[in-house]
Amino acid sequence: MIKKFFVVALVLMMVLSACAAPEAKAEVPEVCGTDSFGCAVFSKEDPIKVGYAGPLAGDYAAYGQDQVNAMLLAIKDAGDILGWTIEMVAEDDGASAEGGAAVANKMVSDPLFVAIAGPAFSGDSAAAIPIFEKAGIPMMSPSATNPELTAKDSKVFNRNAFTDVDQAVAASAYLFDTAGVRKIAVLHDGGDYGQGIANGVSANFTAAGGEVVAFEAITAGEADYSAVLAAVASNSPEAIYYGGYNAEASVLVNQMKQAGLENVIFFAGDGIYGTDFLTKAGENGEGALCTTMVPPASEARIKFDEAFVAAYGVEPGTITAYTWGSYDALAVLLHVIEQVAIVSGDTLYIPRGALVDAVRNVEDFQGVAGTISCQSNGECNASGPIIYNVKDGDWVVVD
Amino acid sequence: MKKLNKKALRVLLVIGKYARWTVGIALALFLTWRIYQVLFVQQAFTADTWLRFALSGLILGGMYALIAIGYTLVYGIMFMINFAHGEVMMIGAFCCYFVFEALRFIPAPIAGNPDLVFLNAYPILSILIAFLVGMTVSGFSGYFLEKIAYRPLRHAPRLILLITAIGASIFLQNAAMLLFGPQRKNIVNPDILTRTAGWTIQVAGKPVLISYTGAFSLILSALLMIGLYFLVQKTKLGRSMRAVAQDQDSAALMGVDVNKVVSQTFIISGILAGASGVMWGIHMGLVNHITGSLPGIKAFTAAVLGGVGNIPGAMLGGITLGVIESMGPALFGIDFQLKDVIAFLTLIIVLIIRPSGILGEKLTEEKL
Repeated sequence: MIKKFFVVALVLMMVLSACAAPEAKAEVPEVCGTDSFGCAVFSKEDPIKVGYAGPLAGDYAAYGQDQVNAMLLAIKDAGDILGWTIEMVAEDDGASAEGGAAVANKMVSDPLFVAIAGPAFSGDSAAAIPIFEKAGIPMMSPSATNPELTAKDSKVFNRNAFTDVDQAVAASAYLFDTAGVRKIAVLHDGGDYGQGIANGVSANFTAAGGEVVAFEAITAGEADYSAVLAAVASNSPEAIYYGGYNAEASVLVNQMKQAGLENVIFFAGDGIYGTDFLTKAGENGEGALCTTMVPPASEARIKFDEAFVAAYGVEPGTITAYTWGSYDALAVLLHVIEQVAIVSGDTLYIPRGALVDAVRNVEDFQGVAGTISCQSNGECNASGPIIYNVKDGDWVVVD
Repeated sequence: MKKLNKKALRVLLVIGKYARWTVGIALALFLTWRIYQVLFVQQAFTADTWLRFALSGLILGGMYALIAIGYTLVYGIMFMINFAHGEVMMIGAFCCYFVFEALRFIPAPIAGNPDLVFLNAYPILSILIAFLVGMTVSGFSGYFLEKIAYRPLRHAPRLILLITAIGASIFLQNAAMLLFGPQRKNIVNPDILTRTAGWTIQVAGKPVLISYTGAFSLILSALLMIGLYFLVQKTKLGRSMRAVAQDQDSAALMGVDVNKVVSQTFIISGILAGASGVMWGIHMGLVNHITGSLPGIKAFTAAVLGGVGNIPGAMLGGITLGVIESMGPALFGIDFQLKDVIAFLTLIIVLIIRPSGILGEKLTEEKL
């Protein structure tokens, strides 16, 4: 009996050592020993997992679906990384802080997970940053615009979205310098985004030497703003800046003429960009301006647009303005992964610490939405906000 | 025991009366001072701006008034607040949207304009159809609302009816959301009634636009209110409605078919809500499932302001509320986001001074 057991054990040991033998031949890269977060190790069958966290159900589901669609195209275009397949892990965080933390915890527990192109919103990003920070997983958010996020000295958080501060600067600069406006009225919907950007514009415009003749809040969700517009009109501004979303903006432009604001410029943040504003405002929306992430037409963009239409049957940018940025966010991550990955024998090693640093040091990456170069704080949007206006019923870049 | 209670009540009423007047006068003085400050000291707005405020207030007020009449009619007859009334108005607005959309797909080519559609070829007829459809559908909605949700509970305590009404309101809202989707729909008017067209008048050297849609809404709500007044005061139906409002049992004894009168009341209130819904659609141009909820609450406020159960009171309350909402923030020199605060504060002040509303009948001790 004992003899039999001994023989079985011996055979087992031989089999095991035979299996281990070829791996021992290929060396583990030296950097894996020195890297602060170690290496992610992929055997031949393991996919390289990259992720996205955002709203995939509920009120904001359109954002998540649009972004994931764009990212799937990025994976398709990248093909594989040094022969290893790429797998997309898209998780629904409900656009909430709790969801952001839960999804982040789930992702870091997977040893094959290396990078995330997200989260989508500012709230879930803030909750997810500390978790990814501990695991050494680089982030590249295409749409979290809260300025605070990059002020937290995080090593892993980057974004190729511009911030609301950038939008405010660009808007007031355009109004003051290009349009030559000296008196503006600022309206907002009282929300975090709307009020923040409205405050930014009025501060910048005043600093530039202009005058903010009226600063009013409106109640979101109403169908009649004629009273507040009449009050604004009595100060005879040359332009109106609005911080908020398209539902209220379209009501405002529809009622501006009745309130005696016929030849007044209407300018807003990226919240109004999209086809919704065009259909609801119709002719009244003609000439309205906004800052947006939508890139100007370029060769890369035209190519991407064709591929997107072929894959999903809709023009990119019709659902959200983040389609191009989402593609770029994942594309730049995949590009960096390919640079730092090391193949040794049949195994792929991705040193996590080196990956985090490499993402932060990206220079002149040509995406479909423009050039991506990361600053030391993680702001990677080198192109800045682009100003669009409505011309003949369509959004076009301002010349 | 009962006698003691009555005595205590009487004392309370007397104390209440003086406390009310003190608070009321203090508030009135404060508000007068504030208005004086804005009008004569700061002079923030010129006459043309005040006219614009007044216009937008009157138009909004006319629609509030029409909806408020529905609340008041039903309250007068059944002593219940029909919280689903705003949703009936939403149904009217949707009818306007669907009629206009349908008519835009019917071609009506004439020589020289092959692309002309029915909506622009016969705009007046189109608007009439929209009103006809909107008022019919809303009238039926009111009828079935009463038949399904309220009639089985006719003799239940009033609180139960109130809860049912809230339930019906939530049901209608969600049904509309599931049927038509949550996005706001854009209502495209016939070309002669575009929202930016109108008469321009010169006030204080500045042009003030009186939009056709606004003038149209205002005139139509006035006509409907006059019509309703004659209906209630001069017709047999009106007389039976008033009889049921006074005392259901006695009216039944005198040969009035109470069920029929209640049904008719709901149909009339539905028709009025439908008309104001179509007007809302034509003037505001946007509709989705929650379109009715805020105007519904405002109109309820207007009904209470004017004296619930009193038809001229509802008209006065609606117009007053609309004007206060649009002029209030400017008049008191505060932020426009606080217009609802001003509207409801006005309600509180009126209720402190006159608990039964501006034109409401005084609640006598017997009725208490």
